[in-house]
Amino acid sequence: MATAVATAPLAGHEAVAARYLEVDPVYAETRSIRLLGFVFFLLSDCVLFGAFIFAYVYLRISAPTWPPFVGNHRLPWFDTAFAALNSIVLFGSGVTMHFALENWKHLNRQKFYRWLIATIILGLGFLLGQAHEWTGVLRGGVTWPGSTMGASFFTLTGMHGFHVFVGVCYLTVLGLQARRGIYTGSKYFGLTAGTLYWHFVDVIWVVLFTLFYVW
Amino acid sequence: MEAGTTAPHVGHDPHDHIHPPPEGFIRKYVFSLDHKVIAFQYFITGLLFMLIAGSFAELIRLQLWEPNGAIMSHNAYDTMFTIHGTAMVWLVVIPLVTGALGNFVMPLQIGARDVAFPWLNMLSFWILPVAGLTLFSTFLAGGAHAGWTEYPPISLADGTAGALWCAAIFLVGISSTITGLNFMVTIIKMRAPGMTWTRMPLFIWASFATAFMNMFATVALSSALFALFLEHVFNVPFFDANRGGSAVLYEHMFWFYSHPAVYIFILPAFGVISEILPVFARKPIFGYKMIAFSSLAIAILSFAVWAHHMFPSGISPWLQLTFMIITYAIGVPTGIKVFSWIATLWAGRIHFTTAMLYAMGFLITFTFGGITGIFLASVPADFHEHGTYFVVAHFHYVVAGGALMGFLAAIPYWYPKATGRLMSERMGRWSFWLFFIGFNATFFPMHWLGLEGMPRRYASYVAFATGNPDAVFWNQFETVFSFLMVVSIGLLAWNMIWSIRHGKPAGINPWGARTLEWTISSPPPYYNFRKIPIVYDRPYDFDKPLPYRNLDNDIDAYPEPSPVLLRQEPVRAGA
Amino acid sequence: MTEAQIEKIIALLGALLVGVTAAVQLRNDWAAKGLDALVTKVLLGLMAVGCVLAFLAAINVLGVHA
Repeated sequence: MATAVATAPLAGHEAVAARYLEVDPVYAETRSIRLLGFVFFLLSDCVLFGAFIFAYVYLRISAPTWPPFVGNHRLPWFDTAFAALNSIVLFGSGVTMHFALENWKHLNRQKFYRWLIATIILGLGFLLGQAHEWTGVLRGGVTWPGSTMGASFFTLTGMHGFHVFVGVCYLTVLGLQARRGIYTGSKYFGLTAGTLYWHFVDVIWVVLFTLFYVW
Repeated sequence: MEAGTTAPHVGHDPHDHIHPPPEGFIRKYVFSLDHKVIAFQYFITGLLFMLIAGSFAELIRLQLWEPNGAIMSHNAYDTMFTIHGTAMVWLVVIPLVTGALGNFVMPLQIGARDVAFPWLNMLSFWILPVAGLTLFSTFLAGGAHAGWTEYPPISLADGTAGALWCAAIFLVGISSTITGLNFMVTIIKMRAPGMTWTRMPLFIWASFATAFMNMFATVALSSALFALFLEHVFNVPFFDANRGGSAVLYEHMFWFYSHPAVYIFILPAFGVISEILPVFARKPIFGYKMIAFSSLAIAILSFAVWAHHMFPSGISPWLQLTFMIITYAIGVPTGIKVFSWIATLWAGRIHFTTAMLYAMGFLITFTFGGITGIFLASVPADFHEHGTYFVVAHFHYVVAGGALMGFLAAIPYWYPKATGRLMSERMGRWSFWLFFIGFNATFFPMHWLGLEGMPRRYASYVAFATGNPDAVFWNQFETVFSFLMVVSIGLLAWNMIWSIRHGKPAGINPWGARTLEWTISSPPPYYNFRKIPIVYDRPYDFDKPLPYRNLDNDIDAYPEPSPVLLRQEPVRAGA
Repeated sequence: MTEAQIEKIIALLGALLVGVTAAVQLRNDWAAKGLDALVTKVLLGLMAVGCVLAFLAAINVLGVHA
């Protein structure tokens, strides 16, 4: 069964689903419990971002002008062009992570590692881009303690950047664990969780990009 | 699986292996993964914090003995009521009702061997003492003065103490989020086979609704406190109106959690009452589905009523109207529960055990607190009552007379299961009546003092007492009777200690109750259930045989309360 | 050409590439069952929306502040 799947890479999710039938019921039950717990964790993390997004929207709507004035200086808008570019780096890493997990499911270990490393590199690239973005914003006079605009921007993107950083570490650990042979072709919940986390971080960025750069 | 030696195959193979109990003191009692031990840890911690926060309350009452009391400086008085409120809400009630009660009862009632994530459960408990120490360390930094809500801009003047306060409650928030997540997954995934949603005991429905709110709303609280912490430490202008921020924003973020929080307190108590009333009235619960779904309705609606705490804070009239109407609406599911409980008592054979006395006391005080809540939800009335002792009375009727009373009902009810001994009924009755009288005498006069305009949180009420000379009498009355509650809680604690040695052996099922925890030995073994039971029906039909198969013990199919315990003739209500 | 224009052109091409790939993956996974597959589909779909937004921002339809 396993060899048949191995010779037919990316043969569709049926092949993967069929392999689950071989999994022992103890694992199936533990996996479903852990998966639900992880999804709930992501949902509660949504609330964390949601609360700060609410704060940002509230402050922005109740402000007389946006961008606000600090003294006589009107703060500049954020740089949409670079943010669009950096967003694509992060979204691209989501796609590569998806490829990595798909390749694991279809037992292509080598391709899994390649896509995983690509994901980590893109994630680090996004963080570098954010560092560039932050310096640009600071140069424009928007600071964390200086204005509500800076307060929301640096807190939200900082929290998101922290999540990306944690994600990069998480994926690295997952790669090392996979190297040590912790995951098998039918038991790889850690990788599923890592992928979900990474997609989640991407989607949070969709919202932040919309609110800070498009609105 | 060795065929023939184990139970019939029910598709739950994963549960058919039992781990051995841990060895060694530390693994067994300190960093334990066992939900029963963790519940016990929560219980002890919660009671210790209650001792501290309760003594603050008595200091507050002593200060109010004279209109210009001189027990402590006004500054110290501010820190007293701040830490009293904060500690009672986050270090006492929430750990007791979700941590202690939920952890002990919930896995037993659903027929599980533990919660879904025992390690997270342990983590969630151990955050709590750290948070408690952080909170009390605010005194070393000058004290927090802004009340348990810590509204900026007043709280921003507290400096380090304010930041420590935020950190402490942030930690509690993390702890309770983790517990909520854990309980959600446990209830969804780990119920015994055959226990469908509408066969769950009502305490489980209440725990589920509580866990849902704990998981979502508490993160919002953590975010609000994180933002306030940033403002304290890094001067980030979220809430500073001088720099474009908004103090009302903090109120929104805070109450978005803290209104669901009062339902986090009260829903487990609802669950307890829904368990105790049918057992001691020997009658099926009235309106099972209505009670179950009203728990969910409360959980969902509670996310849409927060701004009724902010009517005088300058929100638009349209918002005021909307929140007023939704707040009235949330009274409906609560009312449904109260009517169902009263209908459960109707024509039942009522046994006045200690647990039942507390449950009856709950019905009275909680309903009263709920009704004053409707007063406060009305915008015009609230403008008059806001910031007065009327709010203090309402809040204490709901939290102390509701949530705490429900918890006090749960203690004698589940104590025999936890320890294997019955508590002394005689001491129990004394502690109930002391608490009930002391509680009502302390908080009832606050209603009219508040309506006459006595402001809350004032260390001195000279100005108010000048216009209302009876205020001094009533405050002294309250102070005297508030000590009855201290005696009552002390007696309860003594009863618990005394009964471990001297209580009558409880046996498996002293009350003749029908939920799953009463089918295993008392105290429960490490693994709870040797065989996972199979559930066929709801646990409330007292005239039918128990709806379970595959039980560990050979127990009576039609359980009746133990004759040793119930010497007095039951009262037949309504007949 | 300014720096911003170069960035926008790269973002435009990247958004097309990533968005189309995400959409194709979404289609491939459409029939997959289970909670993890469901969450993945929702998140991939939202990410594709993000690509559309980035694309629109790159062609100056969105994110233009007077």
